[in-house]
Amino acid sequence: MGLLSRKPDTASQSKTAKELTIINRLGLHARPSAMFVKTASRFKCEVWVEKDGERVNGKSIMGLMMLAAGQGSKLLITCEGPDGDKALEEIEGIVLRKFDED
Amino acid sequence: MSSSEAKHPNLSVGEFYTRHSESLQMKLIGPTVGFDRRIREPTINRPGLALSGFFSYFADRRIQVLGSAELSYLKSLSEADARARCKALCSRQIPCLVVSRSAKPPTALTEEAEAAGIAVFRTPMVTMKFINAATLALEFDFAPTKSEYGSMMDIMGVGTLIRGSSGIGKSECVLGLIERGHSLVSDDMTRFRALEGRELVGTSPDLTRNHMEIRGLGVINVMSIFGIGSVRHEKRLDLIVTLKDWQELEDVDRIGLDQEFFELLDILIPHVTIPVRTGRDLARLVEVAALDQKLKSTGQNSAVEFNQRLLNLMQKKKEQ
Repeated sequence: MGLLSRKPDTASQSKTAKELTIINRLGLHARPSAMFVKTASRFKCEVWVEKDGERVNGKSIMGLMMLAAGQGSKLLITCEGPDGDKALEEIEGIVLRKFDED
Repeated sequence: MSSSEAKHPNLSVGEFYTRHSESLQMKLIGPTVGFDRRIREPTINRPGLALSGFFSYFADRRIQVLGSAELSYLKSLSEADARARCKALCSRQIPCLVVSRSAKPPTALTEEAEAAGIAVFRTPMVTMKFINAATLALEFDFAPTKSEYGSMMDIMGVGTLIRGSSGIGKSECVLGLIERGHSLVSDDMTRFRALEGRELVGTSPDLTRNHMEIRGLGVINVMSIFGIGSVRHEKRLDLIVTLKDWQELEDVDRIGLDQEFFELLDILIPHVTIPVRTGRDLARLVEVAALDQKLKSTGQNSAVEFNQRLLNLMQKKKEQ
């Protein structure tokens, strides 16, 4: 997803973060991870997901699944870029929607 | 996506004889007549009841086989009766007559058949054997067929049809697969036959067999360049891969939990869409898709198993 090709962060870019709790019964398994990545990838901003000190790219499906974020896990989502607010809003939406599961 | 419509052929006696005379050991007795008659059902009938004069439910659309039973029944009749029964049989729209066990048919039968313009054949095969073999041959001939745009490869035993719009890189992909040691079944257009409604067998049109067209090079003879192992006459279809421009694809499957299918001649074939972008090694991707399909056919689904590992891990973490 072109992470390497991105330019390093500049101070002028907006940065927005929020802690979200995974509430669907099965947690962030393959299908929800795919939905997360699909949503995050629609935006230009960088999306970072942090859990228990581990930080992964929110546009990488293997990274997300590696977090093994079960029900009740708290994830710190950080969006860096011009459309970061919108991205965070949409990501929060699908988490609250329980990834259309349950 | 245009392709020719499914056809349910019916066969002329002449075509049947040309195709199968060798395998069914059929020999023509008497003159070449009735080769234009149509075989309208892909099976065989023994006309015992018809010879006894009972014509209700007579299966006149099928090839008629006379074995020992029918011939000895005719022999048991008076000359005049036998002739009348043969005449009645030959007055029907039957395709042709076959006498099994190399028996000599009664003159009345051959004469009445000739008069009615019906071909009579002889085979040394035992009646049951002939019926089995002929039914299989007919089933193959009558199987619905369809031509589909796409090149077909045999990738380590997995018959794979590679589809995609013109210029997407099908030929390069096929060439890459041939260089990796896989075999070409058909380039650009593949003919499929639905066998017994449960599997599809692909082959190339006679004209293009062993050849392919590559932009800039023209038509090349794959067998001459890469050797006999690089081509294959026919192969069962196990997987369809569609190559699609990255930008045209809205939704790329990232996990592979859901199996997609593609319907061809009423049969569902596993289907995978591979996004095409400069720098991707398409041949390698198609090869891995085929191998993953092979794995699935043994009951092992990588994506499902991976997800189960993940679910187990999350469960374990929760219990801690």
